[in-house]
Amino acid sequence: MSNLKLRGIRKAFGNLEVIKGVDLDINSSEFVVFVGPSGCGKSTLLRMIAGLEPITSGELDIGGERMNDVDPSKRGIAMVFQTYALYPHMTVRENMGFALRFAGKPKDEIEKQVKEASRILELDPLLDRLPKQLSGGQRQRVAIGRAIVRHPQVFLFDEPLSNLDAELRVHMRIEIARLHKELKATMIYVTHDQVEAMTLADKIVVLREGEIAQVGAPLQLYDNPDNLFVAGFIGSPKMNFMAAEVVDRDNGKLVVALANHGGTKVALPIADSSANKGDKVTLGVRPEHFADAGKGDSDITVGIDVAEHLGQTSYLYARAPGGEQLIIEREESRDHGALDSLTVAISARHAFLFDAAGKRLR
Amino acid sequence: MSTLDQATELSPAIAARRSNPSFNLLALVSRGLVYLLLSIAAFVSIFPFIWMFVSSTNTAADVLTGKATLGNALWANIVTFFTTVDAPRIFWNSAFLAIVGTVLTLIISSLAGYGFEMFKSRFREKIFGALLLMLSIPFAALMIPLFIMMANLKLINTYAAILLPAIASIFIIFYFRQATKAFPSELRDAARIDGLKEWQIFLYVYLPVMRSTYAAAIIIVFMANWNNYLWPLIVLQTNEQKTITLVIQSLSSAYYPEWGVIMVGTILATLPTLLIFFVLQRRFVEGMLGAVK
Repeated sequence: MSNLKLRGIRKAFGNLEVIKGVDLDINSSEFVVFVGPSGCGKSTLLRMIAGLEPITSGELDIGGERMNDVDPSKRGIAMVFQTYALYPHMTVRENMGFALRFAGKPKDEIEKQVKEASRILELDPLLDRLPKQLSGGQRQRVAIGRAIVRHPQVFLFDEPLSNLDAELRVHMRIEIARLHKELKATMIYVTHDQVEAMTLADKIVVLREGEIAQVGAPLQLYDNPDNLFVAGFIGSPKMNFMAAEVVDRDNGKLVVALANHGGTKVALPIADSSANKGDKVTLGVRPEHFADAGKGDSDITVGIDVAEHLGQTSYLYARAPGGEQLIIEREESRDHGALDSLTVAISARHAFLFDAAGKRLR
Repeated sequence: MSTLDQATELSPAIAARRSNPSFNLLALVSRGLVYLLLSIAAFVSIFPFIWMFVSSTNTAADVLTGKATLGNALWANIVTFFTTVDAPRIFWNSAFLAIVGTVLTLIISSLAGYGFEMFKSRFREKIFGALLLMLSIPFAALMIPLFIMMANLKLINTYAAILLPAIASIFIIFYFRQATKAFPSELRDAARIDGLKEWQIFLYVYLPVMRSTYAAAIIIVFMANWNNYLWPLIVLQTNEQKTITLVIQSLSSAYYPEWGVIMVGTILATLPTLLIFFVLQRRFVEGMLGAVK
């Protein structure tokens, strides 16, 4: 398996720059997930690695070799597409062996590879069927099988589960995780679903408008986001953001007043000296980090619009006195639906502060 | 109550309308009108075929008097047709031009349609727009310059003069470009990753996936080539080169046209296109609806 090195990778369509200088290292056998909102350039970046889109500038190395101008078939990659991209006129067996046939491999070798891949993916009974005779999940397994038979150095997945229903998506997610464990291959996976990103990745690359917003392990991004964008993108339901203003600095603590909560003050252990009194900032608190009233550092009272009970967990869709919307997570809650208002506490150690430009203040 | 009963149970509003006698009469009349119009349209479509078949069994005199019933001159008409014209020769000429013309048109025009859709260029839409504009020029306006071109190339009275102007059919290029829009770009990407060159993608992926489009195009182009009359009339000048449409027309321009014999020739000329249509019928419909499912 191979490592990848991306240095100053850019992509422009005419005057429109969609990838704006990406530097990234991907280690051998690592499972890396590119995640970001629609139009952030994650699929374009993957297609550039695959060789399906030319690189405008920058350097792409796979396994220590410069691959900028190398044909896609010679980069040692295999790709699984969102729409499966199975050849509709070929059987599963022919689809899986097609690349090997064009690589000039002998028939018995092709048969052996196809058999091996179909064993791994439990496709044996389907080998003589046409793609139209398969379910969505089976088609995606064939698409993965087609990638496996080529023994690539790097697997590329372009939103492979987006066309599947919710239940099948969970099943296939586990299949892909198992496959990664079994093959120990380098895998790059594009998704806009941050649950897939969190559950599959060794490393998540969050992209925003053609640039890397942050790279790190899933929990590292969750626990320690660098900016407002990553804080809002990673985590479901997303982090709550409250408008605030720096009002004081006291014994290494920054005191902010929440604009939409009657000026409630929260003192945060932040040493960053760039924040000054009067600066507009944003306080971020994840839904699960609101404590019971009196058990945190500052209490706020909110009105409850809607309560969603999922069994063990409930989500309360709340509104601050100033109109700001918040989501509050409660465990083992049964009675919040009947409440009009609720007082919860913000704990300083679970709160994040961002400056006006969205940069995290630490 | 069974599921079927539940499904077929009428809503109260519909049931009330159905029990109303004036509503029943209105529905009957409107349905009757629809059937009448459809019957007229069907008759207009099918009448030439009936007339062709009936006339082929009658003598020229009977045909001219408008006899619309079967006669007993079919065998005589067949014998006259085959003794008057060199049937194997003219069928061979027509078949050669239609088959070679269809194959060449499909190769050239499908490649052009594929190229127009797959490869982006600054001038792509301008060139394509100019091509479509040319569709609006009637053939009558092109005939003379085309004839002069063929004469300068010394191609008059050769099959090349028939084939060359036809093989890059703008309509078929347009048809293939439109059909290619439904061809999933991921298939091309997957094939590139599988190591196929562009011509291999065309041959091993595009062509089999688009076979319904090709089937529909075969019918359209084969019929156009087989029935081609005006241009062959101008450039083919010896009897050895003439096609079935030219020969049938020459029969009708005789002093006493043998309409029964002409109808025998017309039936024989219709058979190949009918055969191709019935063989490719299912694919034709698929191709017209969109080849990629």
